[in-house]
Amino acid sequence: MTTTRIGISLAIAALALAAAPGAAEAAGPLDDPAFAKVITCGACHGVNGNSKSDMQPIIAGLDAAYFKRQIENYATGKRPSPEMEPYAKQVQFLGVEWIAGYFAAQRREPTPLRPQPDAVARGRSVAAQCVICHGENGRGDATRLIPALAGQPPGYLAQQMVLFKADTRDPGDPLLSAKKALMRTIPDGQFPDLAAYYSSLR
Amino acid sequence: MKGVTRRQFLRSSSVGLGVGLAGGLAGCAASLKGDFAPKSGRRVIVIGGGWGGATAARYVRLADPSIEVILIEPNKEFVSCPFSNLVLSGLRTIESLTQPYDGLRRRGVKFIQESVTAIEPDTKRVRVGEGYLVYDRLVVSPGIDFQWEQIEGLPAVKDTVLHAWKAGPQTVELARQIQAMPDGGNFVLTVPPVAYRCPPGPYERICQVAWYLKTNKPKSKVIVLDANQNIVSKTALFRAAWQAYPNIDYRASNKVTGIDTSTREVRTDFDKVKYDVLNLIPPQRAGAIAVQADLVGADKRWCEVDHVTYESVKQKGIHVVGDATIGLPVPKSGNVANNMGKAAALSIVSLLNGQTVPIMPPGNTCYSWVSDREAIAVVNAYKIENGKVVQIEQKLTPAQSASVAQRAEGWRQSIWADMLS
Repeated sequence: MTTTRIGISLAIAALALAAAPGAAEAAGPLDDPAFAKVITCGACHGVNGNSKSDMQPIIAGLDAAYFKRQIENYATGKRPSPEMEPYAKQVQFLGVEWIAGYFAAQRREPTPLRPQPDAVARGRSVAAQCVICHGENGRGDATRLIPALAGQPPGYLAQQMVLFKADTRDPGDPLLSAKKALMRTIPDGQFPDLAAYYSSLR
Repeated sequence: MKGVTRRQFLRSSSVGLGVGLAGGLAGCAASLKGDFAPKSGRRVIVIGGGWGGATAARYVRLADPSIEVILIEPNKEFVSCPFSNLVLSGLRTIESLTQPYDGLRRRGVKFIQESVTAIEPDTKRVRVGEGYLVYDRLVVSPGIDFQWEQIEGLPAVKDTVLHAWKAGPQTVELARQIQAMPDGGNFVLTVPPVAYRCPPGPYERICQVAWYLKTNKPKSKVIVLDANQNIVSKTALFRAAWQAYPNIDYRASNKVTGIDTSTREVRTDFDKVKYDVLNLIPPQRAGAIAVQADLVGADKRWCEVDHVTYESVKQKGIHVVGDATIGLPVPKSGNVANNMGKAAALSIVSLLNGQTVPIMPPGNTCYSWVSDREAIAVVNAYKIENGKVVQIEQKLTPAQSASVAQRAEGWRQSIWADMLS
């Protein structure tokens, strides 16, 4: 056994002593309290919030302020969702700051779903009007709580367009009135194309 | 495949086994003798690779890869009970609900395809064949077994009468029988008294078979004998869905008491009902290993656990997850089992590392398909107060829709990855 190894062994022995009952909390794999707070989310939103499915949004890398606003709106029913209303209340119970911070820090992996190229092309031509708020590459604008759309699953994006158009998501919110007015000018049939386009962006 | 599985396990377990012994192991539990994989570091053994057990195995490895995890499961592959009612209506194949355990193996989980014959809590041993394995902490995810003796005539015929309540060959056989049934034949489904696995499951199954018969055999009927006073879960939503199926004859408070396969009749307290195809879902209890290990309560049915760590109240060092548990205000669902598996895993990692166990309340998202394209859902969120799980809120979808069905499909994909990838 080398000197270094003896040193390591002694250090381990010291750690073991430190972990004895009554001693200070040992360092360990669950040092980040947020890790245990987000475990329920993965069943729908994927590992670390990187959903691979069509209808559940990717929440990895989501701006924390936007995340907190959505949890608030889900919990109050302003953004109606039978799935998310109960879970938003659970997030508040566990600590929305922790959970928003955890997902904001995760590296976003774009959806693995590949939309049809012709749908993407059609969507690109419709998207000209969306650029003002969501940016050239669909990256959003965190300072104005405008989320990044790039790489989100297409099914989720298309459904949100329907909800905005019908004013069932955050009804009456003055910050969203211009967006909803715009959505009303777009025929429902174009939503899947628009969703395909934004989903394809990286 | 079974032999390969065991050899892979032995190769990756880096324990000194005699060459002759290792060579003689393939596919024969009897050759597992003594301590066949001596423990070198910290080890968690998981019994049962269903929704709770697979998740627990995965999350121990995720949280602390220095802990060895051994998963013992009799089946070669995972077969999902959720979505298996769609096999009965011909909308899915059983293959589409079958997944290998390769993802867990890649995470370093050592998979043994065997049945555990006994647990010895005092020596922290799990018996497999004639040998045993030693653990530091044990997760038991035994699922359910049936109380055949509750129905007269059933112990003699057991699972030749189809329950199809564990997805697999029985599901495929029931689908075949429904397809082969002549138009005008009666399909009889019996619902056991609560508590049983998957409260809305029988009612989703009724929708699926009724949809199939309405479409393919319009003169046939679905006769439901429900031991309960009413539809147990998502009551109003199922009632609304059944408006589309006049071929459903639903009889509440009709507990099945006996069966005679020679006359093709089931008996209730009131009458006898003839069947052409029978799906008898018997009353249930925790899986047999939980009874053997004395993890069940005085009623010999279910396992009481700590609401934070899922440690058995009867046996220290053994955590029970999934449908076998009782005492929490949660349904016996796959999503709850998945959450219990995570909470048990992180509790164990905390305990083995001398860290404080975090508070991890469960949640439940549960979809039911009411036709070939529409679904409904119930969602429950929970908190933990004074060490006990308490429901925060339950929410139902306002109506059935194709959009809910699309979300169900997304949930299926995501949660399978959360268990098996």
